[in-house]
Amino acid sequence: VYQVFESVARKYDVMNDSMSLGIHRVWKDVLLHKMNPSPGTLLLDVAGGTGDIAFRFINYVRSVRERQLRRKLKHHQNLSWQEIADSYQEEAIKPLGDSQVVVCDINTEMLKVGRQKAEHLGYSEGLSWVVGNAEELPFGDEKFDVYTVAFGIRNVTHIDLALQEAYRVLKPGGRFLCLEFSQVTNPVLSRLYDLYSFQIIPVLGEIIAGDWKSYQYLVESIRRFPPQEEFKEMIEDAGFLKVDYQNLTSGIVAIHSGFKL
Amino acid sequence: GPGAARPPEPSVLPFLVCPLSKRPLRYEAATQELVNEELGIAYPVVDGIPTMLPEAARKVPARPAEQH
Repeated sequence: VYQVFESVARKYDVMNDSMSLGIHRVWKDVLLHKMNPSPGTLLLDVAGGTGDIAFRFINYVRSVRERQLRRKLKHHQNLSWQEIADSYQEEAIKPLGDSQVVVCDINTEMLKVGRQKAEHLGYSEGLSWVVGNAEELPFGDEKFDVYTVAFGIRNVTHIDLALQEAYRVLKPGGRFLCLEFSQVTNPVLSRLYDLYSFQIIPVLGEIIAGDWKSYQYLVESIRRFPPQEEFKEMIEDAGFLKVDYQNLTSGIVAIHSGFKL
Repeated sequence: GPGAARPPEPSVLPFLVCPLSKRPLRYEAATQELVNEELGIAYPVVDGIPTMLPEAARKVPARPAEQH
């Protein structure tokens, strides 16, 4: 699996766009809205190499914090100049309000691509990058408020171990969120999706990234991944409660959610 | 720039433990490593990125006094 990702790392973003016709951005936006993080949230994003979820998290928390500070100012009409200046300074020093995101991926190349993107986009604060294995995370118990894995868990050899590790590193009350390809619910769409996956995607992989085999591997890994209900049960087996899932785009992807209670 | 040695992001250090034993690590700035003294293994920080894979680690003396 590792060699597959070394070769796709660089072209990953371009391929995501072509394969999903840009819809992957919408799916990731939905994931963030579902998460609805407040400032101060500690997020662990696993297999999130190029940083898509991390950047969205930062943007989301920043805008929530801006709104909070603005509301505070509005409700205190009789603030002195000093108090107003202090509020602005608070926003400047801590735009994320103690929120942090750690991006963990088994592949150094993907993380470096993510870090480069972060530098270009001007994200530095509250963001860190760690090479680690989802089945054997290098994080202490009960450290994070939210654990996300977007389009990464299907590539893990022992999914049950990854789920157990997710449970371990989450604080009590913490939330597990997984965005992953799933089973299409509509039979007509399912047939079209098969055609698209097996005929078109590897061809695109060859044209755009010069790599047919890696993308064929990706498509096959999508097929092997358990369907919605089965994956829900696996998450429950790891100890999570209130586990449910939300189908997006007729089940082409699903967001599974669970809580450590 | 890329290729140059850089230290890890300080904010991540409190989260990190040994992936095998889940025990705390000591950050050794001189060698850019995160050391598990009990097990005698050290994980490298490569270009600022803690590389917390057992296969990337090297064995070090398991006694806290000795350093390489």
